Amino acid sequence: MSNSQRKGFNTDIRSLLKHQHKKVYSVCRLFAHTYKEHQYLFTNIIAAASQNIRFRGTSANKETLLLRACVNMAALHMITLDMQAGSAESIEFKSTDYQRAMVELHDSMGNISDYDKFRLFLEFEKVPSEQLAGLTGMPPGKYSRHQLAQRKEKEMPKKNFIPYIKEKLVWS
Amino acid sequence: MELKKLQQHWNSFPETSMEERPLLSSDLEKIVVKNPLSNAFYLRKKLVTRIAVFSVLWLVNTWLLRLQWIGEGNDLYLQSAFFLLLSYAIYFHLRLLLFADYPTLLALPLIPFLSKLEIILDKYIISYKLLSSITAFGLLVFFEQLMARWSPRAYDSFSRNSWYKWLLIIFLAVSLDILLLNIAIPRYRKLLGTVRKYKEGILAKAR
Repeated sequence: MSNSQRKGFNTDIRSLLKHQHKKVYSVCRLFAHTYKEHQYLFTNIIAAASQNIRFRGTSANKETLLLRACVNMAALHMITLDMQAGSAESIEFKSTDYQRAMVELHDSMGNISDYDKFRLFLEFEKVPSEQLAGLTGMPPGKYSRHQLAQRKEKEMPKKNFIPYIKEKLVWS
Repeated sequence: MELKKLQQHWNSFPETSMEERPLLSSDLEKIVVKNPLSNAFYLRKKLVTRIAVFSVLWLVNTWLLRLQWIGEGNDLYLQSAFFLLLSYAIYFHLRLLLFADYPTLLALPLIPFLSKLEIILDKYIISYKLLSSITAFGLLVFFEQLMARWSPRAYDSFSRNSWYKWLLIIFLAVSLDILLLNIAIPRYRKLLGTVRKYKEGILAKAR
């Protein structure tokens, strides 16, 4: 790749991130509790999105890759918080208006699950709910009992004669 | 939870604030070169370092194995076993590194992403078994080489007692494994458990 092409591609990522950075802030509103967490999560999502687009980006899927970066980094953030024993979830931000808005938002959200937070994020950002499947890797909506049974049947391991060796050789 | 009420709160966020500044080009330049994964999840450097160290050991071992082969030495089986172990360890780590594919890892959808993280951590924990065995072999070979230089008679007597050597290797490997099980592995186990629990939570909620 020539330098000019590389520069063009970077400019493309830069302008996309600049235009879409409010979506990243939206995720931070839902998953961060303090100013420090908020800034850390924001920079990490932007770095992840730029990495995703650089290595996997086509003109059609850039926005999906940005949203995947948001969802995956938010998940990692929550996992890291889970690991830290006794991390209090008190809301502490520097600007008063922002602090008030965050307290109100988190109070009205209550203890909802992270999956519901992802759905809220898509709702607030006006992303069609069909995209949830592309972001989480699961079909959207709740399953009926019959669908669940069918899915379970599909997920059941098929009979194989050398399960141990297969498990060792096939990782995914 | 009322969506309307939440939407109201959502709309009440200030347009501009210290927390949500516009993204400047200068900030972006610094951010995009940053590695988004934290040390706990980003094992690339550790894997590359191990591959480099194992490769050096593999080269040294190949040279020692050649000497044993030519001179029909007493350590031929030991060096051959070490050669096989090192070759497998290099293959295992290379495979894990290629499987992890860190530059594109975060582009996966959430559940496949978490599953892949789980597999990477699980295999990384297993790799400590290889590490302890290689260290045991390495220590014995190093000890033998030192002995050959300093006291050739003791070396001659020691190298003929292959049972002692194998017992020593087993003892060292098990001791190192126990040591690593208590020092290095618990934090990865904890991380793996948290990732698994999180994934199951998301799956349970989606159903």
